[in-house]
Amino acid sequence: MTKTSSTATTRGIVDRQALTDIVPLAIPAIPFGFVVGLAVTESAMPQWVAWLTAPLIFAGAAQLAMITLAGTASLWAVITAVLVINTRHVMYSAALAPTFRRQPRWMRWIGPFFMVDQTFALAALQTHRSPADFRRYYLTVALTLYAIWNIVVPLGMLVGPVVPDSWRLDFAPPVMFAGLTLFAIKRIPAATAAVVGGFVSLATVDLRDRLGIVIGAIAGVAAGAIAEQIIERRAPRSTSTVSDEPEP
Amino acid sequence: MSTTAALIALACGAIGTYFARSGLILLLADRALPASFERALQNVGPAVLAALTINLAVGSDGLGGVELAEVAALVVAGAVAIWRKNLMWTFVAGMATLWILSAVT
Repeated sequence: MTKTSSTATTRGIVDRQALTDIVPLAIPAIPFGFVVGLAVTESAMPQWVAWLTAPLIFAGAAQLAMITLAGTASLWAVITAVLVINTRHVMYSAALAPTFRRQPRWMRWIGPFFMVDQTFALAALQTHRSPADFRRYYLTVALTLYAIWNIVVPLGMLVGPVVPDSWRLDFAPPVMFAGLTLFAIKRIPAATAAVVGGFVSLATVDLRDRLGIVIGAIAGVAAGAIAEQIIERRAPRSTSTVSDEPEP
Repeated sequence: MSTTAALIALACGAIGTYFARSGLILLLADRALPASFERALQNVGPAVLAALTINLAVGSDGLGGVELAEVAALVVAGAVAIWRKNLMWTFVAGMATLWILSAVT
């Protein structure tokens, strides 16, 4: 973690809240990284190429898909799987675009590279911060996760599965994401989006390549927009605000 | 898989993932969005996170593979998230529920 202190910002200041917030999210990433590392050793890809997915793609589920599908699926099927799994990042990009508009150009180009689920989930709760404060928070989260990921994947390649299956750490990510979903709900349309997104994702869970995530998300966003319109029509115009409340 | 094919997959995956993450940030950077669109974007996070939660919870075994302990873990985690507004407590409560119920059943 100290590694990020010199690189997180030009002023060399790490956001302490970011470091605290990241702990529970980094814990589930560690066994996941080990699993990816183990998969690398069993992949039909050359090991050094499979390892490079960690620093270059930096997306656990997509990496795991690429590493395990290689050899059993066609090249284009592997690429499609990776891109479909990562389609949700387009929505993260859309959601944070207004916040990144106030960032310097270098941050707009470099920041998104690190936008994994955890970074988005935490950063999306900090958009009320000043541009400099947001940047410090975002980069602290991003670089810490990047450092951890690029340590645990090679460790997984060396050590293999050190965590017993009975610990059920495979279920830690949904537990974390359940909490993050609820933290992100601040208004009725957002609640509608989450409920519909969850149910549609449940209905489409059997689709391949985790397509259900994207379909559920699109349905949720559409439902949220409809809820938004209904509320706007009922409420007097003066009560609708663009800015979000700082507190739920 | 040959080294060349693996490198092509890696390059396509890396470039595609980068632009999935950066595309709209770079495109929308210098333009103001309509207020209604910005409000709609606030719903993206909850929708994606909820879909992700369910998809990851059900996993690759399909609905038939979902255990009662897993559902209970998510419910308890959600309740604690609302109550404590703290991720660590959410994680501990959810996983503890899963471990206890898995041991009992």
